Amino acid sequence: MAAFLGPFLLLLAVFQYWPVAQMVRDSLYDFELLNPGLRKFVWLENYLYVFTDPDRQQAFLVTFGFAAGVVATVIPTAFLLAAYLNGRLPARAVVRTIVFLPVVTSAVVIATMWTFLLEPNNGLVNSALSAIGLPRLAFLTSKAQALPSIILMMLWQQTGFATVLFLSGLQSIPAEVEEAASIDGANTAQRLWHVTLPLLARTTVFVVVMMTVFSLQAFAPPLIMTGGGPEGTTNFLAFDIYTLAFNLQQPGLASAVSVVFMLVVLAISLLQMRLLRARWNY
Amino acid sequence: MRPLLLALALLAIPAAARADDDVSAPTAACPKGVLTLHLLKPQNNPPFPWQITAFEKDNPCIKMDIAEVPFGQLADKISVLAASGNPPDVVVYDGPNTQTYAASGILLPLDSYLPAGFKDDLVPATLIEHSYEGKLYSPGTQQTTLALFYNADMLEKAGIPTPPRELNKAWTWAQAMDAFKKCQQGEGDNVTVWGLAPSRFGAATPGFVYRDLPFLRTYGDPNAPVESSVYKTYFAVAPDGKTAQGWLNTPEAVEGATFFQGMFNTAKITPKAGIPNAFQDKKACFTLDTSYFIAGLVNNDPGFKWGVTPMPYAKTPIVHTGSITLGVMAKSRHKDEAAKFAVDLSTGKAAEEFARVQRILPVLKSVYPKIPELQQYPLNIFAQQLLQWGHPRPPSAKFAQYDKIVTDALRDIAYGADPKTRLDQAARTLQPILSR
Repeated sequence: MAAFLGPFLLLLAVFQYWPVAQMVRDSLYDFELLNPGLRKFVWLENYLYVFTDPDRQQAFLVTFGFAAGVVATVIPTAFLLAAYLNGRLPARAVVRTIVFLPVVTSAVVIATMWTFLLEPNNGLVNSALSAIGLPRLAFLTSKAQALPSIILMMLWQQTGFATVLFLSGLQSIPAEVEEAASIDGANTAQRLWHVTLPLLARTTVFVVVMMTVFSLQAFAPPLIMTGGGPEGTTNFLAFDIYTLAFNLQQPGLASAVSVVFMLVVLAISLLQMRLLRARWNY
Repeated sequence: MRPLLLALALLAIPAAARADDDVSAPTAACPKGVLTLHLLKPQNNPPFPWQITAFEKDNPCIKMDIAEVPFGQLADKISVLAASGNPPDVVVYDGPNTQTYAASGILLPLDSYLPAGFKDDLVPATLIEHSYEGKLYSPGTQQTTLALFYNADMLEKAGIPTPPRELNKAWTWAQAMDAFKKCQQGEGDNVTVWGLAPSRFGAATPGFVYRDLPFLRTYGDPNAPVESSVYKTYFAVAPDGKTAQGWLNTPEAVEGATFFQGMFNTAKITPKAGIPNAFQDKKACFTLDTSYFIAGLVNNDPGFKWGVTPMPYAKTPIVHTGSITLGVMAKSRHKDEAAKFAVDLSTGKAAEEFARVQRILPVLKSVYPKIPELQQYPLNIFAQQLLQWGHPRPPSAKFAQYDKIVTDALRDIAYGADPKTRLDQAARTLQPILSR
């Protein structure tokens, strides 16, 4: 057993736990990547900065706001799409493929494509708005519209994945349970609320956790579309950590942000799993 | 534990082995063997193959091994390699980062390798930019400045007189703004020709320090009393590069930032988002660009008459300088040979030939009289600006951080952020970084 697990545990230790330990250690130092040998032990100063600096606080708020926006839009959209696809539909496999396609497209390609689509002067979206007599929007250059624009892009990209998961959950619900509810006089809405949704709890937990994690990891949109702006409104934490470490040469601070971020994400995932845990078995 | 140590040891072997691999077996022509120097450079930038070939011909016992990366990845690559145990010998990098790399101990000071009188011959802006604590870390390869290109056909059609060619008759920004407005075609959502083309520098968004910080610095005055805010505005950072508070966010800088913002939001003579080749495609009457832009217009005729006028100003004319340059890594195992490469390419006939072939602005004053094109329109405008108005981007050991934070602030101001609030925020964010 040890011989079988040994190599994998070794790889896990070297490529997962060791870097995490290094990150925790680095978060206690002040140094630059250009000269990492010249480092100063600063105790918890970096953590104090993380909790008191307005830019870092904004990055946390923006990131969790983004994740909440993505989850709140993707989950209902994907569920409705899955319910639709679960019915008797001609060419269901083709439609499912079309819905799923954005998921397998590179995040960089998608971010680049949406940058062109949302371009204020000649973008396709603004051209469409003009064509129907609506005013053009600034989208990515507007403090108010940049974050919703990226949430919209994520909705387009991630709905397919969530839909396929929901569809598989729906198809695994035994037909006799639904039939029994119908015989007992439950209408469509009652069957959905009292039968389908509770039995989909495990799938929902998985989809919510996955969407949350995907959103919290978002890096390509700020890197390619907005540079974290305007005024920090799309400065997601993954991008903020990269900027702190490589552009601002503060890897100690970036490590502290990473540690706090990791713990918060862990706590959120545990909380989601607890709140959404399945109370039914079938 | 043993497998882990073995794996680490295996990983370390290539790094340790390269030092020995750098020198080949001795030959009759090269009794000490042929030395391979490792050079990291950005793609499509000097040293060009003909320069490498010429150096190798003059130094048959040295062979150059070139590694290239896209310019956008260069700074990150240098950061990573600098921390490694086996960095390249010579690195080509963006000149304003010289002080950052020097302060971090990445670059080797080159004073002892330079010919006598070299520093006196350097263009002042290059000397400031490439020096740190009195030592010179790069001899420099070329310089750049921005000037205002215009579409002469469009200006004629709009009834705008031909812009001046002389520095002492340069337009003010108010005059330039009038011309932008007159030349622009369409308004609101239906602009077909913009007065001023959007920036193509950096991420092709507004705010790139090289292009856009002079909009603020021109509201300063280097001859004003040293303690005055107007003096500090011109420099945009304290002389020691450690203070931005009170230098970047002065009332005059806010005035400049307000003018800058007005171009996008009030006058609306330039777009907030990039338009590739806006000037060449006749989608803009004017554009701010370097002397390298000339070659593009000459080699690919855009189909209209064009011209160049000096950079407009508000109170004090100023153009940012700086270009890519080369330095020797302090960790190089072959410092003397690497320094020879850097110095040979930047001095004497090689420097003259480089300026002649590539039509660049040289970093040595002595080269200027030898290149006739530099005395003639339009290159003379760039050359004169460099010598009379040129000033480096705010020199600091933390320039990379300054560049990032100020670029973001100027971008946000262009997008509509309150100029004073945003400059104050940038100064607040920068201050602890600069003073570390």
